[in-house]
Amino acid sequence: MNTRSIRFRLAAWHAVLLTAVFALLGGLLYATVKRYLDDTLLETQARRARQIAGTLLANAPRTGEAYVVREIKALYDPELSDRFIRVTRGDGSVLYVSGPPNDQSFDPSRVPPAGAGHAAEFTRLERLGDGGSVLIAAFREEAAQGGTYLVEVGTSAGPVDRLARHILELLALGIPLVIAVAAAGGYLLARQALKPVEEIAWKAAIITQHNLSERLPVARTGDELERLSSALNLMITRLDEAFGTSKRFVADASHELRTPLTVIQGELENLAADPQLPAELRDRVGSTLEEVERLGKIVQKLFALSRLDAGEAQAEWVRLDLAALVSATADQMLLLAEDRNIKVTREAGEPVHVMGDRARLKQVVVNLIDNAVKYTPPGGTVRLKVHRDSTHGIIEVADTGVGIPPEAVPLVFERFFRVDRERSTGEGGAGLGLAIVKSICAAHGGRVDVESVVGSGSRFSVILPLAAV
Amino acid sequence: MNLVYGSPDGNRMRILIVEDERKVAEMVSRGLKAERYAVDVADNGDTGWAMAHTYDYDLVVLDLGLPGMDGAELLRRIRGRNSRIPILILTARDATACKVDSFEAGADDYLTKPFAFAELAVRIKALLRRGAADQSSVIRVGDLEINRLTQQVSRAGQRIELTAKEYALLDYLATHPGRVLSRTMIVEHVWDQSFEGLTNIVDVYVRHLRSKVDDPFPVKLIRTVRGSGYRITDEGAP
Repeated sequence: MNTRSIRFRLAAWHAVLLTAVFALLGGLLYATVKRYLDDTLLETQARRARQIAGTLLANAPRTGEAYVVREIKALYDPELSDRFIRVTRGDGSVLYVSGPPNDQSFDPSRVPPAGAGHAAEFTRLERLGDGGSVLIAAFREEAAQGGTYLVEVGTSAGPVDRLARHILELLALGIPLVIAVAAAGGYLLARQALKPVEEIAWKAAIITQHNLSERLPVARTGDELERLSSALNLMITRLDEAFGTSKRFVADASHELRTPLTVIQGELENLAADPQLPAELRDRVGSTLEEVERLGKIVQKLFALSRLDAGEAQAEWVRLDLAALVSATADQMLLLAEDRNIKVTREAGEPVHVMGDRARLKQVVVNLIDNAVKYTPPGGTVRLKVHRDSTHGIIEVADTGVGIPPEAVPLVFERFFRVDRERSTGEGGAGLGLAIVKSICAAHGGRVDVESVVGSGSRFSVILPLAAV
Repeated sequence: MNLVYGSPDGNRMRILIVEDERKVAEMVSRGLKAERYAVDVADNGDTGWAMAHTYDYDLVVLDLGLPGMDGAELLRRIRGRNSRIPILILTARDATACKVDSFEAGADDYLTKPFAFAELAVRIKALLRRGAADQSSVIRVGDLEINRLTQQVSRAGQRIELTAKEYALLDYLATHPGRVLSRTMIVEHVWDQSFEGLTNIVDVYVRHLRSKVDDPFPVKLIRTVRGSGYRITDEGAP
């Protein structure tokens, strides 16, 4: 799972937000319920305490304390109803305390005295050492004849605590479950919603200058994604038009240049063939002819490039062995290297079959070897190697030449680019050779890479998909 | 339209040029006349068709992009009427598909502009010679002798050892004695189109060939023609 993907982040934010909301709600619910139960319970106890105080203790001096005790036992039967009742006199002595309740949830004798300084009516929670806890409401009664009694009525806090704990347990179990479901749902939902984005991205990735006529899928949903894909399609259309215009321009220009070039070349040839022509003029005509021929070559190469751009290379595809192609081509160029005292070494193992246009792939090899020989000083070596990996056939042409400065490396395959205008002289060099190599490789679904170290040499690697077995 | 009727010399080969670019047509027709061909020019497809089926030509040089009847259509019509006449396509269109279509429609050769006139001349000569008896198996240029059967070369009786490429180069030059062959023609013939970008490959091989064929001898046969190419001849002083 990609943690940077929008759907993951959406789901994560969703989960964090839900956790916060549920924690807040759960906390509030717990506190409210707990408080309500405590209050209700205490209210009941307080009412009872007031009752005992008002009906029995107010008259205690008159009826006698024994009567009060009797009445409490008879009326309230604290043991049977799991209640705690204690009546303390003003001097702190205990008039009455209930016995252990039926359910044994607390021990009344261990409930500490209320202590001094309380208001006439107050409540408290006593946690007893044995684990029991008692909620107590107390009421102080000033009897008519001067006696003061503190009536304490309580009940075990256990049931409320248990209920509260139960709620807490429910929340602790339920919230994570809900969040997990919501997060998973959010993730799936986001994935569903973003699915068209994946499709658009995938399709956009395979659109190159060779298939600009293709368009991205447009989900007819009326949402933001439809707008996005429509906008991208419009952009591709504009690119297509711009590319088309420039391609047509190159094709048209090189086509239109052909006829005048033919005429110039022919007329100059006629002129040069005239035996009456003075030697000096003949030389000048010859020099002009050389340039015309060079111009013609550039026009031809540009035209060839524009055709490669148009994807014409597929016209003559055959299955061929790169090792044999490189070897045969190198044979035909050996003298070119020898002439400059450059050694050509070859490394090739088993045949490496690819699908391609033989003449064009040969052109790739010719251009790379020519380039290597041209930029390698006498005494150097040009190393040719053909090998393969699991999916691609690879031609390597390495030289011990001057190398390419790092800032020029990304540009060497650009049309009309030359590392050093002074360096590449000689006929036909217009800086189109490597551009042609790149275009041919691209037309074959492959690519060409270069690594270079200034002063020690360059290595060009042509990488082409292997033919199906 | 420029009509030039055949000369009284009945042996002259007669060539029809169908080309709408006046200057190209003039240049080609002047060059071919200098080569002692009789030349007619038609500047559109309809005139071309009228002339092709009115007169009896030995060869047609045909442009594809023509006003009126299209060159491809004209090619089919001429071929439909006369199956033997050699037709050479001369065009600015160099797409492979276009070449294939033309050959399928019956063209015999295909040359793209810009071209060297020498190349056109060589190709026309080859087309006209076709069917006639092939060249003898031994070619001689001065005291240089090339045996095409054994691929052995000797000069003034001395055997000369050549590599395969050097032999192919010498053979090509010697097949057209006296004629200037451009570097492009040599590359395309001795190597192939893939090598077209490297015209200096020709210079290197010619230099090596000279070191074997010319350097040891007083008369130099392989001559450089500035701006045009090379030719082999024993005429005149080197």
